[in-house]
Amino acid sequence: MPSIAPVDLSPQQFQWPPEGVTRAPYRLFTDHEIYQLEQQRIFRGRSWSFLGLEVEIPNPGDCKTTSVGETPVIVTRDMERSIHAMVNRCAHKGALVCLKRRDNVANLACVYHAWNYELDGRLKSVAFRNGVRGQGGMPTDFDISRHRLQPLKVQIFCGMIFGTFAEDMEDVETYLGPDMSGFIKRNLGRPLRILGTHSQTIHNNWKLYAENLRDSYHATLLHTFYTTFKVNRLDMDGGILLSKHKWHHVSFARRAELTEASEYKDANVHSASYDSALEGPGLLQAWEEFDDGITHSIQTVFPNMCVQFTLNSLAIRFFAPRSVDKTELFWIYLGYISDTEEQSQMRIMQSNLTGAAGLVSLEDGCINEFVQRGTRADPQSSSFMEMGGRKVESEKNSRATETAVRGFWQGYRDIMGY
Amino acid sequence: MAAKTRKIASIRVEAPTSDMVAELIADYAHTLDDGRIDLWPNFFTETALYHVTTRENHDQQLPIGIIRCAGRGMMADRVKAFHTANIFEPHSYNHLVGPVRIGASRSPGAVAARCNFQIVRTMEDGRMDLFATGRHFDEIVLEDGVARFSERVVVLDSRNVDILMVVPL
Repeated sequence: MPSIAPVDLSPQQFQWPPEGVTRAPYRLFTDHEIYQLEQQRIFRGRSWSFLGLEVEIPNPGDCKTTSVGETPVIVTRDMERSIHAMVNRCAHKGALVCLKRRDNVANLACVYHAWNYELDGRLKSVAFRNGVRGQGGMPTDFDISRHRLQPLKVQIFCGMIFGTFAEDMEDVETYLGPDMSGFIKRNLGRPLRILGTHSQTIHNNWKLYAENLRDSYHATLLHTFYTTFKVNRLDMDGGILLSKHKWHHVSFARRAELTEASEYKDANVHSASYDSALEGPGLLQAWEEFDDGITHSIQTVFPNMCVQFTLNSLAIRFFAPRSVDKTELFWIYLGYISDTEEQSQMRIMQSNLTGAAGLVSLEDGCINEFVQRGTRADPQSSSFMEMGGRKVESEKNSRATETAVRGFWQGYRDIMGY
Repeated sequence: MAAKTRKIASIRVEAPTSDMVAELIADYAHTLDDGRIDLWPNFFTETALYHVTTRENHDQQLPIGIIRCAGRGMMADRVKAFHTANIFEPHSYNHLVGPVRIGASRSPGAVAARCNFQIVRTMEDGRMDLFATGRHFDEIVLEDGVARFSERVVVLDSRNVDILMVVPL
């Protein structure tokens, strides 16, 4: 009779299975203590989080709210046009200072006791500091310069605002490495225009979505709309690039060298059964934007964002964990300022491919929840990820691999100390 | 000049009546609630616009929302994808549609209508959620004596969609 060793539930004592990153224990998706430790070691630790886009706060006094992990954050543009980020939590009692998603303000004022902050987060004034009619007030040694909204270090890269709690963090380009930052420059290195936004609540741990973004194996098996219309198939020329620390990746495909692979016909996969004639062909009207032949790419930046370029549909997705089994996924659809009206129209129609109602990818809204529901009763078991071998390396000739998912786990283990 | 006036006048005569508008809006909701998604494109004209977006996008006049179908062909593709390509936990809708306010349209022969709606979604496991609330902004015309949407813009109050959206609203 097989015996099961008692499970040590302390996250400090957490042991990864000996098989390494080809396994991910299900406990990682349900354990509240691990979730809290991630907030500290990843989101408030040595990583750069996506905070938003410069074009969201174009004018002096503009501000927006977002979150880094579960920590609420304000991003502002001050009167000298510099961008700042700080924790959205009054230094007095801890109330949220900004409630609106977007606003334009002269200063940041907490509504609870009217503590007033500069746009860079420095405390400016405190109500009744000297009391009322000579009574009350702060102690005489109260020093306004010793209180402020907790700042994040901020850096702009290709129109994106990144923030970190690690004061001595390397710059964003070093964090990304040359391959990753080069590909972001390709996609976002021109003035951007926001075409629309929305968000989705997915009922799963954030890491299941982080895996899902890096999982090129599932793309054409689960998402069969694509396959059927030959927008993206594993038989297209394409591959995976991993960053030095393996936790960021780019998956890309080229359309030009499309050939029908017999595996699709023989394996009787779901995707082959679909009628491929679109009645509204306007959906896939596209133009070739780049001369590198890449028509489809998805690029992740650890921990919380991704850039998608599906035909001409350019979007940033980022996510915020809301609890151990709930994540909010944000979509920002983009074009370039330089787009013609015709180009904008094509991006607009292609937005139907992704998002909460995306013809291609809406399955991602539920598939990670299916894993969450399938695994939560069995924290000591693990997933199995050996497609494409056990290595964690770039794979330039195939996307039938889980190498980028293993890469995520390698980076995760490093930063968590597991 | 006189001929042009007469022509406009004759088109105006062909605009749908208030009863027809109310029936169209009610039938549309009942058809989706009955799960008869195949019939959904028939509520629209051949070149109609169906657009689901959020209040945030709508107020800022941003063109990308959540669904945009330009013409009945794209709606038919969504229906086909629903049946053949898309994977999701089965669920059903129950629309609660508020009173319809009918107004003048910019287009000759059309009437404009707006109404509020709430949709409760029931999942396969019995879970019920308030899935969507918002406003319908419609343009409705008569085609061979039948009232159809030439435009239906669905503006959701929330920026956030729970899980996914595969059945139109």
